[in-house]
Amino acid sequence: MPEISQLLPLIPALPLAAAMLTAVLGPRLLRKQSHWPTVLALALSCTASLMLLCKVHREAGQEEYERSGYEKIVTLYTWANVDEAYESDLRLRSPEGTVVISQGRKPLENGRLRQQSPEGATVNSRRDDSNKDSLATAAPLGLYNSEVIPFQGFTSLANDCRPEGTKKQGATIKNFRIEIALRADPLTAVMLAVITFVSTLVAIYSIGYMHGDPGYWRFFSYISLFVFSMTMLVSASNFLLLYVFWEAVGLCSYLLIGFWCEKPAAAAAGMKAFLVNRIGDFGFALGIFLIWTTFGTLDFHDSTAMGVLGKMRLASPEPIVNGAVGTAICLLLLLGACGKSAQFPLHVWLPDAMEGPTPVSALIHAATMVTAGVYMLARCMPLFAASPFALHAVAVVGGLTALIGAVVAITQTDLKRILAYSTISHLGYMFLAMGAGTVLGVTAGMFHLVTHAFFKALLFLAAGSVMHAMGGVIDIRRFGGLRRIMPVTHWTFLIGGLAMVGMIPFAGFYSKDAILLAVAEKFSFGNHVDLVYQTLYWTTFGGIFLIAVYTFRPFLLTFYGKDTVIPPEAGHHAHESPLSMTGPLVILALGAAFLGLYLEKTGGLAEFLAGTPSVAYLNRYPLAPEPSHETLESLHSSIGRQSTVMVAAGILFTIFLYAGSRRRLADRLAGPMKRLGLYQLSFGKLFFDPLYRLFVVRPLELFAQACAWFDNRFIDGSVNLVGILPKLLGAALRPLQGGLIQFYALAMILGVLIFLGVLLL
Amino acid sequence: MSPEIALLNNYLIVGAILFGLGLIGFMSRRNMIVMFLAAEMMLQGVSLSLVAWSRFRNDFGGQMLVIFIIAVAACEAAIALGLVTTLFQRSGRLDIADWHALREANQPAFVDEPISEETSTEEPLPTLARAGVAPQVPPVKTDYRPNV
Repeated sequence: MPEISQLLPLIPALPLAAAMLTAVLGPRLLRKQSHWPTVLALALSCTASLMLLCKVHREAGQEEYERSGYEKIVTLYTWANVDEAYESDLRLRSPEGTVVISQGRKPLENGRLRQQSPEGATVNSRRDDSNKDSLATAAPLGLYNSEVIPFQGFTSLANDCRPEGTKKQGATIKNFRIEIALRADPLTAVMLAVITFVSTLVAIYSIGYMHGDPGYWRFFSYISLFVFSMTMLVSASNFLLLYVFWEAVGLCSYLLIGFWCEKPAAAAAGMKAFLVNRIGDFGFALGIFLIWTTFGTLDFHDSTAMGVLGKMRLASPEPIVNGAVGTAICLLLLLGACGKSAQFPLHVWLPDAMEGPTPVSALIHAATMVTAGVYMLARCMPLFAASPFALHAVAVVGGLTALIGAVVAITQTDLKRILAYSTISHLGYMFLAMGAGTVLGVTAGMFHLVTHAFFKALLFLAAGSVMHAMGGVIDIRRFGGLRRIMPVTHWTFLIGGLAMVGMIPFAGFYSKDAILLAVAEKFSFGNHVDLVYQTLYWTTFGGIFLIAVYTFRPFLLTFYGKDTVIPPEAGHHAHESPLSMTGPLVILALGAAFLGLYLEKTGGLAEFLAGTPSVAYLNRYPLAPEPSHETLESLHSSIGRQSTVMVAAGILFTIFLYAGSRRRLADRLAGPMKRLGLYQLSFGKLFFDPLYRLFVVRPLELFAQACAWFDNRFIDGSVNLVGILPKLLGAALRPLQGGLIQFYALAMILGVLIFLGVLLL
Repeated sequence: MSPEIALLNNYLIVGAILFGLGLIGFMSRRNMIVMFLAAEMMLQGVSLSLVAWSRFRNDFGGQMLVIFIIAVAACEAAIALGLVTTLFQRSGRLDIADWHALREANQPAFVDEPISEETSTEEPLPTLARAGVAPQVPPVKTDYRPNV
């Protein structure tokens, strides 16, 4: 079995090679066979990812990694390496939360010697009230004092690379060092496996779906490029690389949303996605700048310096960074995550992104790219753990988005847009889980990410199958009763739907309950009642009912009904999709049906993820005393019972409204809703788009127009003025150039005479 | 004034006169060959003063330079006469004012003042009182081009 250092670079390299090969050979040579490089590369990449997963699983289980977590860094290339790029003085540093490394500093006198307290102690001095004062006095001295051994190692290393005599007491040297470094840890391994597995299936599905498209090779080239970027994103081991591929997946998303760019709606949607993401990415970039100025490094791991999330830093019980700076970093990172993961208030791009081909919606805008924000939050969780405010912000954003997505999804008529809003809603659930800031929350969020990738990709691909058969029509009012002609799509959609609503024993049930448990744990056991989490819990718990309604409404309208209704666009070929499309559907359906059960019953995923250094940190230094296993289990089972009842009620309600001839009930219910304005509110997507148009787009347009006027009139005018001067001068001197030789000779002689005259005088 | 300086002065004066004549000739004539000759004359004026200074300073550099000038002038003469011949073949005239294509685009072209076609009126011969046989005077040719 190959080593991790061989497997890890292979996973992104294969899709990159496929992308380049398809781009070069596709248009002339491969043409209708353009899918082969992509499918082969993704299949191999998937195999490599699964092997990596096994390997990491085996190695992370070793006892030495139990406490600090497992990580393995593969450095491919040193991009930039500038010694002493940045020097800062201790006295100039912000007193709060900055990591200051100085030589020979005495251990703190506050008696908080962490080494002496046992690791598993339930009392945590970090949150202990009696230590608050000492913490405040300790903060200006830096978070790392000399009693932590690795810290001295860094100091000596930093000082070694300076010439003698320039050493200054109390100054830190920051090496600017950016490496193309990939990391293998449980979090990355899980993400890689999910990404490559889903993308392989989607690529196979696309063979059937994109058949005959003029941009066939272009599509597969983009898909490979996307998988390359996404795998690099999740395996990057520093913030800069993460940011680069964060942008790269945004680019691929833009290219694929606008794949049918001759369609104005698709071009506009691509632009909208890109621009809305800019806002988030701007915040993310600012967050990275702040991390650099605070930590002096961007690496996750320890290399020459102590990494931001490196084991040395995580080894201390102190918060990684606290105070206002820490909160600012976390909120900026959250803004970045909101943009990429389509969270409120930056969620408006995702529904429009459905203009792209359906496999793209399934892969990028449901299963993988939009989860990058969740991944980033999970990775940076030790930073968030220090700031209750930031954690609350994450949870509130998640809960609010979960509700917004669910409310809007109920009344939409476009099958893919319904699924898009459900994606927004489910990503909100993941954010909510991350907002808990506990091991339980992070693992629950990642668990939901995995199961969501399966059932949402499945639902999108099934919707694509319907769309394929209906000749591109996706409005659920225009077809019905399709279960008779599309049995495979019908059954797989049903399984995906049951997984999404969280019906026992499908995948969504376990992951959703894990999230609810993680949130409930935040307020059920503590002495104080955390109102934020309590409100969010009950809101999202109510959201489960909405999930059931918005999942089964399109399902019933599409596949059930007395007559088989087929729109005229479908022509005569309204049939079940080819094997290349139904095959991936069946495989994903198996995943959606059994994966949750498997992962829950073995308990492997949570345990495995807890071996990630970032998560292991939370495990070692929990925010609050953890409840006992038994109380947690009883809470879990009660949540499971309640949510099952809720889901069943939702499904029955929907069936009652929409199934069979009773469909009139839904129309009857819509009447009072319309009078109350609730229907319009939901159907109008809570009017986010008009509001953005009014308050953001329009002012910006006006500002741009003012800028254009200023540019055209003032700046261009002054430039033109400078251009006119030589012209005028030329016009004045032009009569001198008459073309007569004698005149030129005369001018020369006069010139010489004047020159001589001046010399003589 | 020492005799050397007096001698130098003489040479310089002759050189300056040569140069001035060439200059005036170059500016006042429009026949290309004549202009070329005038330019050569200016060159010779300069050469003469160079030789004079060289002799005065006892430095042979100036004379060497003059030999170069003569060599270059010979080449130049060949090229210039070749050009003049070509130009003459094109227009049939040697007038430099025919060639003013190098003027600025929107400048008016030089138009020669029209040569008044002076018909040679027969000068009335001086008449004397009939005192013998009238002298046989040959007719004077007047069809030359006065401005060339």
